[in-house]
Amino acid sequence: MTLVRSGRWITGIALLLVAGVYVRALVYTPVEIHQGLAQKIYYVHVPSAWSAMLAMGMVGLASILFLFLKDPRYDRFASASAEVGTAFSLVMLTTGPLWARPIWNTWWTWDARLTLTLMLFFLFVGYQVLRGAVTDPGLRARYAAVVGICGMVLLPFIHLSVYLFRTLHPMPIVLKPSKPSLPGSMLVTLLLSVGVFTLLYVGFVMQRYAIGERSDDA
Amino acid sequence: MTPDQIPQTGGYMVAAYIVTAVILLAYTIVLWRRGSAKTKS
Amino acid sequence: MVVDLLRHAWLVARKDLYLEFRSRTAITSALVFTALVLVVFEHGRDPTAVATIDLAPSILWVTFSFAGMLTLNRAFNAELENQALDGLLLAPISRTSLFWGKLVANLAFVAVVQIAGLLLFTLFFNVPVWRVWAPLVAVMILATVGFIAVGTLFSAMVVRTRFAELMLPVLLLPFLLPPLIAAVEVTAKLLGGRPLSEVAGWFRLLAAFDVTFVTLATLLFPATVTE
Repeated sequence: MTLVRSGRWITGIALLLVAGVYVRALVYTPVEIHQGLAQKIYYVHVPSAWSAMLAMGMVGLASILFLFLKDPRYDRFASASAEVGTAFSLVMLTTGPLWARPIWNTWWTWDARLTLTLMLFFLFVGYQVLRGAVTDPGLRARYAAVVGICGMVLLPFIHLSVYLFRTLHPMPIVLKPSKPSLPGSMLVTLLLSVGVFTLLYVGFVMQRYAIGERSDDA
Repeated sequence: MTPDQIPQTGGYMVAAYIVTAVILLAYTIVLWRRGSAKTKS
Repeated sequence: MVVDLLRHAWLVARKDLYLEFRSRTAITSALVFTALVLVVFEHGRDPTAVATIDLAPSILWVTFSFAGMLTLNRAFNAELENQALDGLLLAPISRTSLFWGKLVANLAFVAVVQIAGLLLFTLFFNVPVWRVWAPLVAVMILATVGFIAVGTLFSAMVVRTRFAELMLPVLLLPFLLPPLIAAVEVTAKLLGGRPLSEVAGWFRLLAAFDVTFVTLATLLFPATVTE
């Protein structure tokens, strides 16, 4: 089976599973009493943020491998991951304010984490604009790799920033030193959603990589 | 808390879930079409 | 080996500084621009409506950011003509020295413009800068170093792309905003007379950012000029 077809299969399955997560989150997960139904945005917002960060991490990793091994396939993979990351960060940046508005009474705030996640989106965009502006494939790959690595290194500042500053954004309740403090059923829904969104990332990247291979223009 | 004491924020939830679905499906379609194109896309 | 590195870096920096000192075009335009921006802000505000001290940090850092961008634009432009960049690359100095030389020259330019900007700022805006001049200078240095390091790295690349002047701000934005926001927060707290303990966290972030990105930029620079 070609890469395109397997990518499509995986994407298709992932999308069905997303629908399943929708049902579980909307119908079978308890409502949080302080935030109401809007709290359920958590189950799409956090996994999309996770996928966006994963995408940037992969861009960075592939970029490092490309600079060391000079194999254009890594560059092609980085390019694919960047485009997919853009899609997920769009989801993250639209669902975020939709959650913020009813909870904090504001669409946006320039606290450390939100700002840096917005920057993640700009990184993806900038990465792709740079690729579009360089005609020589070898130069394009090297330049993109440099930006990709810098972008990936910016990521830890995103996570750490929440610890350094008291901000409006919820302190991490899952990825933190002590045990996750989310109630059982909600935790399961979240983890399922994260898994499904990761699968979707894989499906998307496979297709996008295949497209890059075919047009040889990454 | 009784059900009517919980904040009525359902609209935002619906909007967010719809937006997510739209973006993901749109991108799926974009990739599908580019994957089917015969020439360089 | 390290001595050679530093010596060569200094040679590169000195070349840039001499060039600029003789023509004075970039520094002059940056200084004029800085003064212009401050005058516009000064005339634009209504002192009865908004207290200067509320606007002051933002005004100061907008000015510094623009000055920084102007400086970076000039960084590799000189080398574009007559393929001077190739000449530099053929010279018996390491890529690292080349990068640090460029970085030092850029920092020197920005420093001059920032100092002048700060002086003009205190002149126009009558805010209590002198009480907190030391931490203020510290935040100016910390916020600038990381951003200029990434900027120097990126300007080496964009100089060879189409729409170079547009590409640089687009690419740099994600790396400018974190130190910029930290800087504005710290400046606001300092001018507002807050205790230093409140800004310690921001200083830590800035320091971490600087160390990380100066190191990274140094490591990545060779990839931008390798053939």
